[in-house]
Amino acid sequence: MTTSPDQPASAAADAIAAVRRGDIRGSARLISRIEADDESVRPLLRTLYLEGGATPVLGVTGPPGAGKSTLVDQVIARYRARALKVAVLAIDPASPFSGGAILGDRVRMGRHNTDAGVFIRSMSARGVLGGLARATGDCLIVLDAMGFDVILVETVGVGQNEIDIMRHAHTVLIVQTPAAGDAVQAVKAGILEIGDVFAVNKADTPGADRAAAALREAVEFRYDAHDVTAWHPPVLKIQASTGAGIDELLDAVDRHRSHSAAYPDQLRARLVKRARLQLAELVAATLRRRYILENDHDAKFERVLDDVVERRCDPYAAAERLLDKSP
Amino acid sequence: MTPQPRKAGPIRCLLGMLGTDVHTKGIRTLAQLLRDRGVEVIYLGEHNTAQGMVSAMLAEDVDVVGLSFSTATYVHYTRGLLDAMKAAGVGDVPVMLGGLIHRDDETELKSIGVKGIFGPGSTTDQIMQFLEDITGKSLIRLRDNLA
Repeated sequence: MTTSPDQPASAAADAIAAVRRGDIRGSARLISRIEADDESVRPLLRTLYLEGGATPVLGVTGPPGAGKSTLVDQVIARYRARALKVAVLAIDPASPFSGGAILGDRVRMGRHNTDAGVFIRSMSARGVLGGLARATGDCLIVLDAMGFDVILVETVGVGQNEIDIMRHAHTVLIVQTPAAGDAVQAVKAGILEIGDVFAVNKADTPGADRAAAALREAVEFRYDAHDVTAWHPPVLKIQASTGAGIDELLDAVDRHRSHSAAYPDQLRARLVKRARLQLAELVAATLRRRYILENDHDAKFERVLDDVVERRCDPYAAAERLLDKSP
Repeated sequence: MTPQPRKAGPIRCLLGMLGTDVHTKGIRTLAQLLRDRGVEVIYLGEHNTAQGMVSAMLAEDVDVVGLSFSTATYVHYTRGLLDAMKAAGVGDVPVMLGGLIHRDDETELKSIGVKGIFGPGSTTDQIMQFLEDITGKSLIRLRDNLA
């Protein structure tokens, strides 16, 4: 029923089979089609989405140069030692002027290039400002279906407010450095509110203890100590370049995962919040495309538009009319 | 196959160095020039193996690969990479070379499958023209769209 001349059903079935058996080139090409916003991949994604969602996603975020890629390299090595198959989606920013990008996260992960149990894909954020690329969600559907045991998502180096990762990760790991600022920075709103586990990297540099203490105090303040079911985000000191503290960090990630399993209502609340944001965004993007980019106006839209221009209807009421079923 | 229109999306170009060559200034300069022309560069840096580079090519679904050499061992390393690419089923991905490539070696390099050679004196425009021709993709001129 979704067959079109460009995308015969057999080609779609082949692509799905390639993803399910973990075929690297087939899956990599599918990801490229997702990035190019190729609508013919949607039926495939639908099939994979409906039966997916089991692979844990660990998001790694933090400011530029905090050590995210180096940490991801260490985490890959630890998971490989546990014989887990690991997928990594590493996102770097695009030039606001040319649209080009230098995707350099693999440089820190080069030792895993020849390991068949590791799949690393670099992605340009292509102008999106939330720390991830627009294709992230759909790309995760593919990685999830490829049969990895764990998926790592490394965001663009972020500042204070790029929180898109919370919509995609089961566990959000925030990497900070001793240079992150004082106790006031630690209590500001924004990215520090979305962390499930905090790592203060470069723990051998001056100020590491103070930075960890400031973060810990800020994190403890946000969580009700009397609520025994609440997750208390731990703050750990690490040195990603040497691997010091990484085992303890992954223990904390495991504990967060067990906590989610022990309190399925909390996990569900997280998934509901994620789906709500995603749907609202998709509806907005669909309307934008329909009304602005494609200029594909139906009779009702033209009528409402005319009413606004002629001041028979105000824009707020007009928007309500467009969203309901009334004429 | 019917004739293809220009393919969608930005050109994805893998850049890296093989063997023990550590002269990264040139390839980092090229990475920045390509970035400024709208290319998505997947930068691998130095000290790669042929096998590691082939794995990256597969996972990153690149349109083209660029190698840089400042040492005299480039024919050997390039042959090794092209062989590994064929063995992995990515022999169709075009490879270009830059750096200190001697004119006397160009015939041999072309005969083993190198598609483009950009030694000293090559211009960014020549490289861009090659990339557009070989990948069948157009550069996205974002700056024009913003103007």
